[in-house]
This record gives sequence, structure tokens and C-alpha cells, in this order.
Amino acid sequence: MESDGQNKKYVPNWASILGVVAIMLGVFLTGLHGTEAMKQSVIATHMPAEGQPMPEADCPEGELAEEGITVAECEFLVDRVEGFAMAMPDGFAGNFMWLAVIGTILAFASVVIGGALVNYTSWASSAAIAVFAGLALVDILQFMMVVGTGPVVREMYLWNILLWLIIHSMLLVGALAGRHTEAEKSQ
Amino acid sequence: MQREGFNRTSVILHWLLAVSIFFLFISSWWMMGLPLPSEELQFRPFPFQLHKNIGLTLVVLLLVLLYMRFKYRPAPPAQSDMKPWMHNLAILAHIAIYLLIFAVCITGYLSSAHTRWDTVVWWAVELPRIAAPNEEMNEFWGELHTYTAWALLAFIAVHVSGAIYHSFRNDGIVRRMMRW
Repeated sequence: MESDGQNKKYVPNWASILGVVAIMLGVFLTGLHGTEAMKQSVIATHMPAEGQPMPEADCPEGELAEEGITVAECEFLVDRVEGFAMAMPDGFAGNFMWLAVIGTILAFASVVIGGALVNYTSWASSAAIAVFAGLALVDILQFMMVVGTGPVVREMYLWNILLWLIIHSMLLVGALAGRHTEAEKSQ
Repeated sequence: MQREGFNRTSVILHWLLAVSIFFLFISSWWMMGLPLPSEELQFRPFPFQLHKNIGLTLVVLLLVLLYMRFKYRPAPPAQSDMKPWMHNLAILAHIAIYLLIFAVCITGYLSSAHTRWDTVVWWAVELPRIAAPNEEMNEFWGELHTYTAWALLAFIAVHVSGAIYHSFRNDGIVRRMMRW
């Protein structure tokens, strides 16, 4: 079945499926990239100035009970942020944050584009190709940045980025194949 | 004549709510791993206040969405071959999601209201204190906040599964919430 039972509008199956997958992943990725942008911004802004020591953890008993953590875990939270900041090369946080911001915008665009695919508007497949290519490019740039760092940052990001790169490549190829199929049908 | 799908405002609100809810889930897991706040360690205030801002805004957005949904009811799907149990499950999931969004936001606010931290909505409007700091109440509402959030995630999974099912069948149901 390739037509909409509701209003008889022609919508190919590939567009219906690709559209909803793009929307679901787009919603999820907007949250992920948005969080990453905030993470880089918060850590970069609140780390002590260069040469200054990291402040000691403040672990009052009441707060520990509330958070459900031990003193050792409370101290580790500070060490972890310090270790993460130390592991990032110069300029990494700023560049990575901007890529995350661009990723957030493109991920939200993929929600809109997914809706256009489900409705199979005239511009949907071209826009989908552009947005999926953009998201894959963000993944590639992030991958290149992370590969050049040390083991701590690589362990934290590399597999996630690779997974999203594979997903966006598949979405891109799916949109290209769908457009190709429709072009052949219309000839 | 009733329109076939939801109106544009409802569609935009639906997707804004979806993106915001996922952002809140993902960012909350990260922000809970930040160092506890002190005078010198100030990693937490911004993400926590942003979390509260978005949560409180969600309540308003959801009220507007519900108003729009009841005021501009779309026509039922013309040729839906949904089985009755699927239809009932869809209704149950919708009601549960709406109730749980309210519950998560309200329990989150009540948990926060029992801490020493004030709530300044979007860093502009300071909400009056409704309770003195109280660790027990903070923990109580905090736990409810967590459990209702997990329940919300479970119902969202049902809702999303239904959307994917209909998109694979290409039966036009999903298109009702995607009219740009």
C-alpha cells in the first residue's frame, strides 16, 4: 500500500518509514547534542583559571543522603570533571561545543524534514538529503576532533559518534535511493 | 467540516514537548554527575535552573496543547483498520503521558521547593517560596519525580512504538500529527 488511506494522497512507503525514523532519531539527537553543547559550555565556564588548583569537593552529610552517594563518590565527581577538562586539548571545548550547537539545529531540522517526508511534500527528499548529509558531516568533524585527543576523551565519545555516523549515512543513502526510485517512476 | 489532522499549533507544541522532554531526560542524567555545589564549585546551578525552567514551561505548553486539542478536534481517521485493543492502548498511553508530564513537573517543582535553592524562572521571575528547606520532603518529592519520570518514559516508548507501527503500515495515522 503506497497511498494514504485518509486522504488518498500518494506517499511512498520508503518516505513514510524514513520520515518517522528521522523524526524519532531527530528528537533524541536534539537532546543529545543540546546536552553536549551545555556540557562543554558549563565545564569550560566553571573550571578554575589556568594554573589554579581544582577546589576540594564539598560533601555535607545531608546532601550525600539526598543524592544517594558516599563521600568517596562525592570526591570522585570533582576528580572526574577535572580529569575530563585535563584530557581536552586546547580549543577542543569551544570547537566541540559549536559542532554540538550546529548538530542541535540540524537534529531539530530532521524532525521537521521527517514530517515533510511523511507528508511527501515536493521538497522533502532534497531537504532530507541536505539535512542528513549535514548531520553526517557534523559526525565526521566530531570524529576527526576526538580521534586527535587522548584515551580519556576517545573512550568517552568515539563509539557514540561512530554509531551516529553510521545511522546518518544510512538515512542519507535511504533518502538518495528513495529519490532515485521516484525519479525512475516518473520517467 | 472537521480537519483531517491536528491543527498546526498542536503539531508544533507536540514536537516542542517531545524535544524538550528528551532533552530533560538526557541532560538530567549528565547533570546529576556534576560535583555537589559549593562556593567555589558552581557547575550545577546553570543546568539545574535550566532544567527547572524547561519543566515549568512544559506545564504551560501542555495546557495550551490540551486546550487546542479539545477546541480543534480532528476528524477520526477515515479508513483506520486499528483493532479495538490498539485503539484503547493508544488512548490509555495518551492520557497517561499527559498526566505523567504534569506529575513529573509538579513533583520536580515540589522537590526543588524544599531545597535551599530558589527558583528564578528563566532567570527573570523569582517564584515565591512555598516551603522551608526540608531534606525529608525534598527526598520524598525527588523520588516521586524519578519514578514518575521512568513511568513517563515507558508510556512514551508505547506511544513511539505505535507511531512506528503506523508509519510502516503507511495508513495515514501518523500524518495527523505531522501537518506542517
